Parts: sequence; C-alpha cells; structure tokens
Amino acid sequence: MSGRFVLALALGATVLAPLVAPTYHVLLMLPFMAYAVALLGLNLLFGYTGLVSFGHALFLGVGAYTGAFLTSVFNVRSMETILAAAAALGALVAAPVGALCVRYVKIYFGMLTLAFGMVFYTFVLKFYRLTGGDEGMPFLRPALVGRSLEDLPKTDYLVGPYYYYSLAVLVLATLVMWRIVRSPFGLCLKTIRDNPTKAETLGIGVARYRWCAFVISAVYAAVGGALLGPPTGNVDPTLAYWTQSGNIVFMTLLGGFASFFGPVLGAFVFIYLQDWVMSVVPFWRLIFGAILAAIVIVAPGGLAGFWVRRPPVEASSP
Amino acid sequence: MRTTRRSFLRLAGAGAAAATVRLDAAPAFAQASHAVKLGVLAIRAGIAAPVGAAGLRGTEWWLERVNRAGGILGRPVQLVLEEESSPKDTVERYRKLVLQDKVEAVLGGISTGVTLALGPVAEDLGTPWLSWDGTTQKGVEETMPNPRWAFKSVDNEVEAIVAGMLTPRYFRGIKTVAGIGNDYSYGHDCWQSYQTVLKRYVPDVKFVLELFPRLGVTDFTSHIAAIQQSKADLLMCSFWSGDATIIMKQAAAVGLFKTMKGVFTTAGGVHDSLKKDFTPEGLLLGYNTMYFDDPKGSPLLKQFVREYKAKYAEYPPYECDHAYFCAESYKAAVEKAAAGGTTWPERAAVVRALEGIEVESLSGRRSWRQDHVQMCNFYQGITTHRNSYDFVTIDPVEVVSTKVAMKPAGTKLFDWINSWKI
Repeated sequence: MSGRFVLALALGATVLAPLVAPTYHVLLMLPFMAYAVALLGLNLLFGYTGLVSFGHALFLGVGAYTGAFLTSVFNVRSMETILAAAAALGALVAAPVGALCVRYVKIYFGMLTLAFGMVFYTFVLKFYRLTGGDEGMPFLRPALVGRSLEDLPKTDYLVGPYYYYSLAVLVLATLVMWRIVRSPFGLCLKTIRDNPTKAETLGIGVARYRWCAFVISAVYAAVGGALLGPPTGNVDPTLAYWTQSGNIVFMTLLGGFASFFGPVLGAFVFIYLQDWVMSVVPFWRLIFGAILAAIVIVAPGGLAGFWVRRPPVEASSP
Repeated sequence: MRTTRRSFLRLAGAGAAAATVRLDAAPAFAQASHAVKLGVLAIRAGIAAPVGAAGLRGTEWWLERVNRAGGILGRPVQLVLEEESSPKDTVERYRKLVLQDKVEAVLGGISTGVTLALGPVAEDLGTPWLSWDGTTQKGVEETMPNPRWAFKSVDNEVEAIVAGMLTPRYFRGIKTVAGIGNDYSYGHDCWQSYQTVLKRYVPDVKFVLELFPRLGVTDFTSHIAAIQQSKADLLMCSFWSGDATIIMKQAAAVGLFKTMKGVFTTAGGVHDSLKKDFTPEGLLLGYNTMYFDDPKGSPLLKQFVREYKAKYAEYPPYECDHAYFCAESYKAAVEKAAAGGTTWPERAAVVRALEGIEVESLSGRRSWRQDHVQMCNFYQGITTHRNSYDFVTIDPVEVVSTKVAMKPAGTKLFDWINSWKI
C-alpha cells in the first residue's frame, strides 16, 4: 500500500468520523489533533535536528493559558486571534529559552528544557491571582471564523464545527511543516543532526539553525496547546507538568521520529490505547507502560517504521 | 432421529413463534431487570489515592446493600468505574461514562481543580453528577451558583471555619497563631478562612507565621524549626493526607506541642495513623463529616465501621460518608421522582427530586441544598488517649452543622463571616 494511499485513507476517515463514529470517539479525536500539531513541531527538533526536548509541555501550557487568558480575562473569543497570539507568545518565550538551550546538545539540552518547563509549571501553579493556581483558568468557548456558535450544545459544537476547525489547523500545520522539512532550511537541519561539525565547516550556522528549529517547534506546541483548551474548558498546571513533556516525547517514539507522519500516528495510538487500557484494568499505568515498552522493543523505528521500506540486505562478499 | 422436511418445518415454525414471543416480551423484560448503570470517578493514584479508595469502598458497601434489597425500583445497580486524574483526562472519562457507557448518573470527584472542569461538562451532557468532595468554587467563591445537573460537595473551607469557631472555646487566651497548609488553593483558602473567623472571636489575635510547603513534601524539619522560632501560642494545620501524620511525628520529636497548642482541621482523614506514641492529647482535630467512633452514631454507622474494619483492617475515614450519601440520595431521588410508580423517571425529574432531599447517611441525616450543595455536620474535638485503639480519638465531640458553618447560597464568604453577630 503506497504512503499516499494510506494518507488519503486516513484523511478521508478523519473527515467522515463525525458522521459515522460514536460521539465519544469523535471527542477523543480532538486531543489527538491538538497533540498531532504539537508533535509535528516537536519532531522538527527531535527527528530532523536531533535535539530531544523534555520540556515542551512549557509551550503547550503557553498556548493553553494564552487561550484561557484571552477568553476569560479579556473576553477575546476569536479562535484565529487565540491561535495567532498563542503562536506569537510561544515564539516570544522560546526565543530566549532556545537561545540558552541550543548551546548544548544531548542530555544537557534535554535537562535544560526540562528545567525551563518546570519553571513555567511552578509559575502557573504559584501565581494564584494571575493563573488560578491548581484550580486553573476557564477556557471559554471560542468563536470560529467569526461565528460565535454559543447556541450549540457544547458537545455538538465540539464534534461539529470545532472538530473540522481543528482538522483544518492540523492539515495546514502539516502542509507548512512539509514545506519546512523539504526546504533548504530543513536539509540544513538534517545535516546538523547527522554531522554538526561537517555542517559548521560547510558554513551552516549550527546554533542559529537549531534556535530557529526550537522556535518553530515551540510555535507548533503553543498552537497545539491552544487547541487542547476548548474541549476541557479549563486550563490547569498539569498541562505544563513534566509528565506531559514525557508523554509527547513518547508519542513521537511510539509513532517513529524518523518518519514525517510517525509522531502523528504515535499520538493517535497513544490516545486510543490509553483510553482503552484505562477502562479495562484498574492499574492501567502498569499495563499501558508495558504495552508501550513492548511496542518500542518490537518496532524500534516506531509504528511508522513498519511502512518504511527496509534497504535490501547486501549480499555478503565471498 | 432423522429430520424430515415436515419435522424441520414444524420445528422452524415453533422456533419462529417462540422468537416472536421473546421479541414481544423483550422490552418489558429489559425494562424490569436490566441493570442501572452508575458511573464512578475515583482517584486511584498519587497522594489522594487513599481518599479515592475510601470513597469507592463506601459506594461499594452501598451497592451491596441496595442490590441485596432489590436494587432501585427493582433494577439491580451496576457501577462503571473510571479514574479521576488530571482535569483534561477526567473530563474525557466523564464523557466516556455518559456517551459510551450510557450511565444514568455519575458519582465522584474529589479534587476541586478537576471538578471545576467537570461542572460545565455535566451541565452540557445533561446527566446528574453528584460530587463526593469536589466543589465548583474558585477559591472560596462559587462559579456555578445555579447548576441544573451538577451537585457539589460542601464548601472546601467549612472545616477551617468550624475550627476557627472552636479555637477560642478550647484555647482561651490565644494571642499569636502560626499556620501551615499545603501550597495549593485548599491550603491557602483554609488559612484565610480560619484567620477571618478567629479574628471575629479574638480581635487582637496576631498571625505571626504562615508556611505553605508543596503537597507531597515529607520533610518538615525546617518548617517545624520556623514554627518553634515564631513562638506562637497555637499552630493551625490543614494537612489532610499522610503529611499530617509525618508533621505530627516530626513535631513530637522536638516536643513542639509541649509549648504550643495545635489545631488540625482535617487530619481526621488519616485518623488511624495518628498513633498515641506521637500524637498528644489536647489538640483540636477535625474529622470532616464523619467520625467513625461517634458515641451518638447510628446503627448504620456502627454496622459500616464494623464491616469496614473486618474487610480492610482499618477504620473508615470521612470520604466513605460523602460517597455513601451521593449514592443513597440518588436512589431516594429516583424513588421520589417515580412517585410510587414502576416506570423509571426522566433524568430531569430525578434532578428536581434531588433538590432539598434528605436521607440517612453513615454520619446521620444529610441533604442537598436547593442550589445543589451538600448539607451535613462536621465533627471536631479534642484528642484523647483514653480509648481502646492505638491511635487518638476525640472527646468531647463537637458537631457543627453546615447551616451555621457554611456560607448561605448567593453570599460572599468574607462578607458573610464579617456579618456575624458575636
């Protein structure tokens, strides 16, 4: 089965889901699409640049809290404005954080991003008056493309207009990321990932390119975070906690960071598998962890690795 | 036996006739006997897992009793369990219970951070939700004053208010107070409410220290040193989980309560871990809404405590009572809405019946206020070693109703406290 055919099939199924699938499963697609946007960005950093961030929940949180502030404090309900503001704030926060983090690689980069993520988590947890602390902030229903849609019951709003809106954002984010990774910029990132010293000697500004990748990935995560808000209707610090960062790294590994669509597939499998395991066994974390570990062991290239054609085995020399 | 064409047709005809009868009978049969599904949301991991487990045990005990007695309107009850975790994930589990599992009502919810998100979802999905211990308060003020489907717990700060009322009665001459609570809304709200109430009774009282360690901290050495240094007359502590036991042990190690009075508003939640070895007599200790050893306790409470002890080898904390009350009041509301009939009432009718309903719970009579907030009693008292357990109990037992210790519907908490005539 060709990749394009699978992609068309997946897109078709996603478009038709609200018409044929049970409401609950359609609702589960909303966090999937939000995470998928964030993961496209994370994989620019992880899969294409070779930097593993353990603090990207920071930017999910920035996006979600931007939406919560705009809707509940400033009464700005336009989702387009929210997404634009989330992207801008994501970039604004990522610029200095990235400038500090990309000076390091491997575990040092990972630990620094984790530290900044926890700084943000502590900030939203401690500043009660500003952020609502552990109680969080309401993310009021946003208007979509200028239509308020307040008359619709919330579930109808979510499985109808908001679903297709999220899908449109995901498709747009995918197309933009597709262009990025196939541009000269994307090729430079891959060169940096594979051999930073050689990239430097070729005249590529390694630190600058890494910084750009960091900022772009943060923008994607912030947009994903803003999309996560409306289904829950409340934004709280757990969204910015390190376990969220761990989850999205794991989704990427699960789907396969070597593939463009791998992380998206990882998000889908993670969310539906978690949903199923949670309902079946009381100690679901144990079982869920074991299942995920087994998948990673069986498919080290991630689930998308099954689709990637393996290079033919070279005949051994006599 | 050989099957002929004639015998096959006869058999097929009989089968078809039987099938017709079954098909006709099926709806009535289903109406009478298929189980009523109730969703339950319980915390099952982390620091609040014991609280979630207590709520679940209380619900399961109720379930056994009700099913033994014939269920609700003749239908057996079945629980569908999901986990309360983060607000995002719990909202998803709530939607699953209602949309996928088709439950008649959802019971549970402990963390206010979670239940603040659940409230609007319950309103949207149009299914009764009876919260065990979670409110829809932001801080100490209500965010959903007129819900239709959401039924909420007692206001979080009530136990601090009760403690504030009882402090001057038991600890006369208190001039300075230090406070310690967990660094999240509950800890801060309790401290603020306690100060406001105490100030009404003892206007010249000074609050000399406030400490807010992170929830889950297990070393209070530096906090205890700071409390000692403050030389306060009294320490107010709103810890409710294992940290209450830990601070008690660490305080005993330095003899903190030899020179200082103590008020533990909520430590009764872990009452049987407060061993006599390190928990002194003379502290004010709060048990929230159920005191397992209540000398005036009902036969229902005594039976529950006995069976709980036999099954789990421990004595039940208050969350069992919240959970039992939610389930029992739902049953009573269904029966009231059915008004003696046998048909299952509409959900809207059940919700109307819940408003103002009063039932016998483990702790005694409890009810739902018209604005969907629980009404009950709070139990606090002075710790004593004079009992047959290896942990402290309280004597005397003070019983304070939410009628006097919880802000009335539609009022602001601090305006209400400041309006008291003392």
